[in-house]
Amino acid sequence: MKRALGVVAALALLGWVAYALVPEDKRADVVTVSGLIGSEKRDFFDNPDVKAELRKRGLEVKADSTGSWTMSEQAKNAKGLDFAFPASAAPARDIQRNWELKDSPLVPFYSPLVIVTHESAAQVLKQNQLADVDAGSGVWTFRMDKYVEALRTGRKWKDLKGAAEHPELAGMLYVSTTDPESSSSGAMYLALLAYVANGNQVVSDDAGVNTVRDVLATSSRLQGMQKISSDEPFRDFFAGVGTLVFAYESQAAALPLQGKSTGDMVVMYPDTTVQSDHTLVARTDNGRKLADVLENDEVLRKLEARFGLRPQEDQEAFWNLVKDRKPPSFARDLRGSGFKQATLPSLDNLVKLTNAAKGNA
Amino acid sequence: MDFRTKRVVDFRTKRRGGLTAALAAVLVAVTACTSSGGDKPGPGPSDQPAETARPGVLRILAGSELQDLAPVLEEARKATGVTVQFAWTGTLDGADAVSSGRADGKYDAVWFPSNQYLRLDPVGKSKVLSETPVMVSPVAIGVRSSVLGDLGWGDGSKVTWAQVGDAAAAGKLTYGMADPSRSNSGFSTLVAVASAFSKADSALSEADVQKATPQLKQFFTGQKLTSGSSGWLAQAYTRAESGVVGALVNYESVLLSLNKTLPAQQQLTVVRPLDGVVSADYPLSLLSSAAPDQRDAFQRLTSYLRKDEVQKRISEVTLRRPAAAGVAPAAGLPTDRRPELPFPGTRAVADGLLAAYQNDLRRPSRTVYVLDTSGSMEGARISALKTALGRLTGADDTRGVRRFRNREEVTLLSFASSVKWTKTHLVPPTGSQPGPQAELAAINADVQSLSATGGTALYDSLEEAYRVIGRQQAAANDDRFTSIVLMTDGESNSGATDADFKRFHDALPAWQKSIPVFPIRFGEAAVSQLQGVADLSGGKLFDGSGSLDGAFEEIRGYQ
Repeated sequence: MKRALGVVAALALLGWVAYALVPEDKRADVVTVSGLIGSEKRDFFDNPDVKAELRKRGLEVKADSTGSWTMSEQAKNAKGLDFAFPASAAPARDIQRNWELKDSPLVPFYSPLVIVTHESAAQVLKQNQLADVDAGSGVWTFRMDKYVEALRTGRKWKDLKGAAEHPELAGMLYVSTTDPESSSSGAMYLALLAYVANGNQVVSDDAGVNTVRDVLATSSRLQGMQKISSDEPFRDFFAGVGTLVFAYESQAAALPLQGKSTGDMVVMYPDTTVQSDHTLVARTDNGRKLADVLENDEVLRKLEARFGLRPQEDQEAFWNLVKDRKPPSFARDLRGSGFKQATLPSLDNLVKLTNAAKGNA
Repeated sequence: MDFRTKRVVDFRTKRRGGLTAALAAVLVAVTACTSSGGDKPGPGPSDQPAETARPGVLRILAGSELQDLAPVLEEARKATGVTVQFAWTGTLDGADAVSSGRADGKYDAVWFPSNQYLRLDPVGKSKVLSETPVMVSPVAIGVRSSVLGDLGWGDGSKVTWAQVGDAAAAGKLTYGMADPSRSNSGFSTLVAVASAFSKADSALSEADVQKATPQLKQFFTGQKLTSGSSGWLAQAYTRAESGVVGALVNYESVLLSLNKTLPAQQQLTVVRPLDGVVSADYPLSLLSSAAPDQRDAFQRLTSYLRKDEVQKRISEVTLRRPAAAGVAPAAGLPTDRRPELPFPGTRAVADGLLAAYQNDLRRPSRTVYVLDTSGSMEGARISALKTALGRLTGADDTRGVRRFRNREEVTLLSFASSVKWTKTHLVPPTGSQPGPQAELAAINADVQSLSATGGTALYDSLEEAYRVIGRQQAAANDDRFTSIVLMTDGESNSGATDADFKRFHDALPAWQKSIPVFPIRFGEAAVSQLQGVADLSGGKLFDGSGSLDGAFEEIRGYQ
């Protein structure tokens, strides 16, 4: 897989170099590339600098933003799409299967999943060993094993030391996510929760599903109605809605990188982490060209980093931008900093986990 | 909708014979496309939605409170070239329109305070492709300043739902609230109080609703006004005598905006209960059925609305909170946080809660229908009336939007040159033997027995309705939402005049004076007479000339 990706990238790069040699004013007309994107990438594709750079490469992107799993559903019927760009590999595989594509899709950038919260909540979690902060780096971690235990025992905020001083911390302790049936981040959360609840092992059979069923069902039941895609709960968070909100690191990082105030937002990395591989499934040559420039165009890579994304081909780009802007603190390299990486379940098992969470038969 | 208006004008110039047949045909056509009658377009920032999609135009089915965005959308049109055409409806009716496919091809997007109810339905969920939250407002309680002082609630910043419930139970807090089966603010309030009283601490279950029932009943004894729309609710609050209605439950933004027009003694202090709120985040939502050009227009419009400076402007214009990081809310919006109470995750819980509200929790209603059965009603008109009223006795109504409710007292008064007969039915409470079905069938039997003959003694008959209510109230001495529906297809041509009625009304005791009359215009009804009755009584005029079914159903939100 990795090797195949490399070959495609190299070939694409050759093409791109040849293309780049053509003087700008001699270039063929800009072509419109139509597709579906995860809502977390909406701001990136809306950005004038990104649009300008894409136009230089002869592309104008027209994309509807939606939940990654909704996208997979939509992609089945939608004609005239050049590409689909969900937030993770599983819906990408599903779309590929539906489009009967054989080549390996590109992953131009990735982003770890995080939990955003306010300072008061983070401090209470820390006081109760549910979270920790690294004195040196200022990076917060969220203790997944303790959290699973809290879900199993039905812990409430008022059971936690120090919560009484904060009336906004009320009700059961739970992380809010998007709907795993429509959105990749909601599904990734279930995968993460299942991995930890299964004794830090990927759920690979029905016995595993049964082991984690109660915890997943509890997590869903507490939340009630969930939003369609990750943009919505993240935006709502800044209007005061939601206490612990599951989000992409990129959503949180994009704000300070664009000079926006994040108030008292704290970014917590689950100590067992999952990362979303933003995977571009190209159906046409124009779609493939888009994937290629997103991965290889240096200007675009810089812009990706400015939107909090971690370019696959430039691992330090993200860190170089965020390291001097605190708070909030971001992690340099999760694997290198001792975070365990949760293995993602197969597509079939992910569907079973979603059904278990939703209480579907 | 142009079509509907035009046809009505045509009727007036036609002779009666062809008229009834034409009316019947139009009634069938209109009811086939709008079962609720709620998606009636109103005044908007631009024209009413066209039948077919046009480049650069987004046809949006929306909640009527979005009218306050008009200046922002006008700026958006200049900046993006996208024109918005609105059709208005209630949030839950709108969800029905999307789920049933009635919105497909007719609208490109929907824009309600929340998509929560819509998303409870798997089909509805699949019809929405993309959502962008545009602004946020929590449901709050606007308390009259004098009442706030009497309750000892200080500046209102430290009040809990338990205190609100206790004050209502003790008769110290009376309030108006929109019908939760139609309006998102009413539904959100219901979810919030059920969550708070059951101490669910998470999304509600059916057991939680059961557990909270006694406290919910007490809380709802304080509800003195109900309404199908927030506009009428605000009007009713303004005209209610001081002390009758002490508070309004609505979005924070609606309450703050209302304060701009209220006199000093009616000013509302916005209370967001400490133990939790339910917020609306107004997601502008693209329908999967939208054409590529409309999808493009949607992207352009939402990109514009998400800009920081536009978010700031939206907050200043609407007094809702920005749905964006780093954008400060408009002055006057408090920034201390409240826990967000989750919304039920299943349709069964949501509909169960609504049915419980209508049939068991709220104050029951005393509802009087004053029905014109004069000779001009003969034929298609009387059968349209029988159909419209008969629908209110049907069982197919999961969230309590139409059917006569358990515990409701329903009186039918048939009149022509004089009152022909008056029949009263009391729908039995939940769990009684025999159940409500038998009584609903009896109401329907009376409805089907209506027959058209004679003149139109409108005011005499209306006066009789007040006397009936007076006797009913004296006999039962109970506490009910009381209202009158007046349906006529013509002008009053015998008995008391409008001046007589005015004198009669002026002489009524205060409690009867405050009974709202909801006239329905139909056929050649004299609009000025009906509007006069609505204004005098504090009611509201409904238009039954397009869909009588729709008018009767819409009024259920006010009864």
